[in-house]
Amino acid sequence: MIYEKNQRYIIPFDDVPSPRAEMPEISVDERRGNFVEVETGFPEDIAVQEAKRCLSCRRCLGCALCWAECESEAIDFSIPDEELDLEFDDVVVTKGQDNSFFPIDPKLGFGSYADVITDIQFERMLSPTGPTDGMVVSPLDGEIPKRMAIVQGHPNEDDDQLLSSLVLGVNESIIALDRTKDLEVILVSPINEVFKEQFLSNAEKISGLRIVKGDPESVEKDQEDAPLSLKYSENGRQQDDTFDLIVILTKPKISSEIKSLSRKLEKPVQ
Amino acid sequence: MQDKKVLIVGGGLDGVSAALEKAEAGAQVTIVEKFPTLGAERIPRDRLIQPDDAFVNPDLDKMRNHDNIQVLTYSEIKKVNRDNGKVSAHILKRSLRVDNIKCNDCKACIKVCPVNMFDDFDEGFSFRTAVDYFNPATGEYNIFKEDMPVCQQACPVNLDIRTYVAQIADGKHLDSLATIRDRLPLPGSIGRVCPHPCETACNRQYLDEPISICFLKRYVADVEINGGIEPVYETPEKKLPEKIAIIGAGPAGLTCAYHLARQGYENITIYEALPVPGGYLWVGIPEYRLPKKLLQREVDLIANMGIDIQYNKRIGKEISYEDLKKNNDAIFIGAGCHLGLKLRVPGEDEYEGKGIVDCVTFLRDQALGNPIDTKGKLIVIGGGNAAIDSARVGWRMGFDEVYILYRRTKKEMPANTWEIDAAEHEGVIIQYLAAPVEILGKDGRVSGMKCIKMELGEPDASGRRRPVPIEGSEYVIDAETIVPALSQAANLEFLGEDHGLDINRWNTFDIDEETGATNVQGVFAGGDVVTGPDIAIRAVAAGKKAAEGIHEYLRSK
Amino acid sequence: MCTGRVDPALVAKAFKKGIDGLLVVGCYFGDCHYITGNHQAKAKMDMTRKLFKFIGLNEERLAFRQCSSGEASVFVEIVSEFDQKIRSIGPLGGDGDRVKAPEIFKKLEAAEAVLAGEKIRWIIGKRTPFLETGNVYGEIFTEHEFNRAIEMIIVEEMEVQEILARLKETARSVKDLANDLAIPPSRVFRYITALKRKGMVALDKVTGQTPIFQLTGQEV
Ligand SMILES: Cc1cc2nc3c(=O)[nH]c(=O)nc-3n(C[C@H](O)[C@H](O)[C@H](O)COP(=O)(O)OP(=O)(O)OC[C@H]3O[C@@H](n4cnc5c(N)ncnc54)[C@H](O)[C@@H]3O)c2cc1C
Ligand code: SF4
Ligand code: SF4
Repeated sequence: MIYEKNQRYIIPFDDVPSPRAEMPEISVDERRGNFVEVETGFPEDIAVQEAKRCLSCRRCLGCALCWAECESEAIDFSIPDEELDLEFDDVVVTKGQDNSFFPIDPKLGFGSYADVITDIQFERMLSPTGPTDGMVVSPLDGEIPKRMAIVQGHPNEDDDQLLSSLVLGVNESIIALDRTKDLEVILVSPINEVFKEQFLSNAEKISGLRIVKGDPESVEKDQEDAPLSLKYSENGRQQDDTFDLIVILTKPKISSEIKSLSRKLEKPVQ
Repeated sequence: MQDKKVLIVGGGLDGVSAALEKAEAGAQVTIVEKFPTLGAERIPRDRLIQPDDAFVNPDLDKMRNHDNIQVLTYSEIKKVNRDNGKVSAHILKRSLRVDNIKCNDCKACIKVCPVNMFDDFDEGFSFRTAVDYFNPATGEYNIFKEDMPVCQQACPVNLDIRTYVAQIADGKHLDSLATIRDRLPLPGSIGRVCPHPCETACNRQYLDEPISICFLKRYVADVEINGGIEPVYETPEKKLPEKIAIIGAGPAGLTCAYHLARQGYENITIYEALPVPGGYLWVGIPEYRLPKKLLQREVDLIANMGIDIQYNKRIGKEISYEDLKKNNDAIFIGAGCHLGLKLRVPGEDEYEGKGIVDCVTFLRDQALGNPIDTKGKLIVIGGGNAAIDSARVGWRMGFDEVYILYRRTKKEMPANTWEIDAAEHEGVIIQYLAAPVEILGKDGRVSGMKCIKMELGEPDASGRRRPVPIEGSEYVIDAETIVPALSQAANLEFLGEDHGLDINRWNTFDIDEETGATNVQGVFAGGDVVTGPDIAIRAVAAGKKAAEGIHEYLRSK
Repeated sequence: MCTGRVDPALVAKAFKKGIDGLLVVGCYFGDCHYITGNHQAKAKMDMTRKLFKFIGLNEERLAFRQCSSGEASVFVEIVSEFDQKIRSIGPLGGDGDRVKAPEIFKKLEAAEAVLAGEKIRWIIGKRTPFLETGNVYGEIFTEHEFNRAIEMIIVEEMEVQEILARLKETARSVKDLANDLAIPPSRVFRYITALKRKGMVALDKVTGQTPIFQLTGQEV
């Protein structure tokens, strides 16, 4: 869900004029007692300037360079879309690959700092087929972190969410600790009964991982390249600590398409 | 289970294992995934793992080689229907544009492709190129070619914004106007009043602010007028004979007529109840936002395509709907929403017409030049654009003081923020968190209104916090005119009794989204009359869709 | 030689060798013996000027002018005007340029690689078809759209070529590259992972907390 689905990758270029043009208006005094048009329209130079701001968003340019390079002639721009009408006796609706999640409290720094990432991103990073072949690094500067925190992004959610995100957080710590020399991980989250009964004692045995029953409060840093400072409460006590990488446990969100399919078919999402 | 056909929606880990399970049991399985390839390995979320056994891999090989499984990646389920326990699905399978059987994964293409984009599969950590393998585990290549840029997608008529804006950048203003007119016959009007959903989507906002897409449309329309150019909208040589009647000369009806004329239909008649065209563009949106002269010109250009617009012809009055149906091959209903909703407070009925005028009537009277008494103060009730327009019109007409009463706060107000700001700027007094309790009168006329202060309580079903009255906080505002501007509803009485159209509980029609067709053959509908009060460009889009629907219907008859 | 054949990569190379200005004089539009040679020349020089501006070289150092072979006096005028201009800008990498020597020469080296590379050559060659008959999907580009595409490629190709040039010298970390090139490290990280995807860069070793990357010899 992160970026491209929203088509947001933009390359700034110096030549693009910056501020958005403002529409000229007649003054309030000129408006009383008449119906003269308030907005007077762009003059030509402003209109052209404004139009030049357009980024001409386009992905594949249709330049056919890939086609020219492909020796096995696999690229074929004329392969058409297909439309199929099919009949079924039964349907199973699953979440699909759309890893959307509910918005995260902006105080936790996701979106502001490159070294604050989500659990789903971290899962990809840990994967052997992932962008770093499974090595744990900070996307801020490509360095291997010494201290990292995994923090609950939705501390006030239902039991199911708390449980599955906690288990994921512990599992990710297990992999990260196994892959990374001298790593320290702390996991900050409220803990519920089921987790306590089924998983806590085993999780506490993992060397290098410290589980903190508490609420994350904020993530900040003074400078782009400074370490992240995490504020959290532990048993009501205010704590403040610094980390090289922070992973936020998210709450998965089912995409609206899947939701509406599930509604129409009266099949719950599995 | 034998030969049972099963559809699996979603090609993530869950989908793949569900597919395998069903297929092993003998069912014929089709798995549909939106992304170009099937899912990635995942970390379990229900048990603790061992470091060397961390990921659960979807068994993609088994899946691909299974005789009972059909894999549809890069596919979307466009429509589903449940009927007698059977499910029918219309699926769009997008082209990958790479033949993955011939592809030998040499990576030559991705080394040269000049287009980088965020890599969804790696959750944005990396770049992919426009041609790329999506999932490293499957190595299936695809070329990402968007159907249209986000701005165009967000525009209800899918205007080719990227092109028309760039044509302005190149200084080709009239070409730009032609690009717009390919879909929208009212560029000058829409370019002035549209709340521009395209700008809300525009990618440039992630850099600084969106492109001023809407005003650029107005700009090119103005270039033509200022240059004294009078264009002629072309119609094809080959004419089509069928008779088509259109009810209402609002944006929906006008656009429908325009696109039908461009197909070659020469017997198109628009019946309009009012003496003026444009629907709410004329009798709702005030002159200071959209000059009538300009609107008239755009309507004339459409009418000059050979379309007969008959004014002062209300269907259900001058002509019956039945006759219309009998005498035409197809009908488009674009009658809009012209009933103002009531406040439902004591005194309202008593003073109806004696100081109480709903906003539809108020704005229409002003637009048509009917007399309005502007003595004293004016109170407008509501938070939508119609309320703001009524207040700004009242302020211009010379009421001593103009108030807007709104139940919630500025943040919740549905009107466009720039409109609210303009009203406040002009001196309209907006009282937030206030609601009417009773209309007060003296000598048979409105003399004021009793109001009550509100506070925001718990969020309601729509997610907005519900306003609740603060007990004992009543107060009175003196006023001579009160304009309720709550919302509008469709008036379908003109249809008479035996129209046969299904009317739903919102008192509108259920239409086929793609064609605008109603349940009655040959009758189409669109615009506010279908959606309820909405925005002009969506009415334009509905008119265009219906024109295509009507053309298809008439040609297949 | 037709100006249409002036290779932008050679232009960059000439500047890298230390020239202070380069003037390309072609025929008037419509007079071209090869029909569109001078149009191509203009497009190529415009693009090269864009790239120069981006890397911090004063783009006025490169100019495209037109006159016909019979107009000796016009030619003299063009040349002396250009001469004046270059004198006022001063020597390469001095006060007249945003990026100074010797840094500018490294940039020019990467610029040469960009201009010699297939992407830019191919796309520039597509200019006329894109504007007149359309791309493989039949979409006709406006000038503005085409320029945006070129700009996008210039920015990214420059950065990637600079990274590749540094990696060719020796294996490096993301942080080093970012420091050397004044590109935000998070952006370098993304480029490195992308180059990894393409099989052009691989992990060399890890020193302390720092992964070091190297070329695989698979570059195009
Ligand atoms: C005050 C106000 C301000 C608005 N401001 C904006 C704005 O800034 N931007 C924006 O995008 N939208 C705005 N809108 C909404 C927009 O004007 C409407 O969504 C749009 O006009 C709807 O188009 P339509 O063709 O469906 O219906 P209408 O424009 O309502 O046209 C319907 C036409 O049908 C005629 N008609 C009805 N019944 C019959 C009959 N029986 N026989 C013959 N003719 C009939 C009516 O007289 C009318 O002319 C505003 C609306 C109002 C009320
Ligand atoms: S190289 Fe291929 S995928 Fe890339 S932009 Fe050109 S045509 Fe599109
Ligand atoms: S910058 Fe905005 S207007 Fe231009 S193409 Fe992109 S989304 Fe559309």
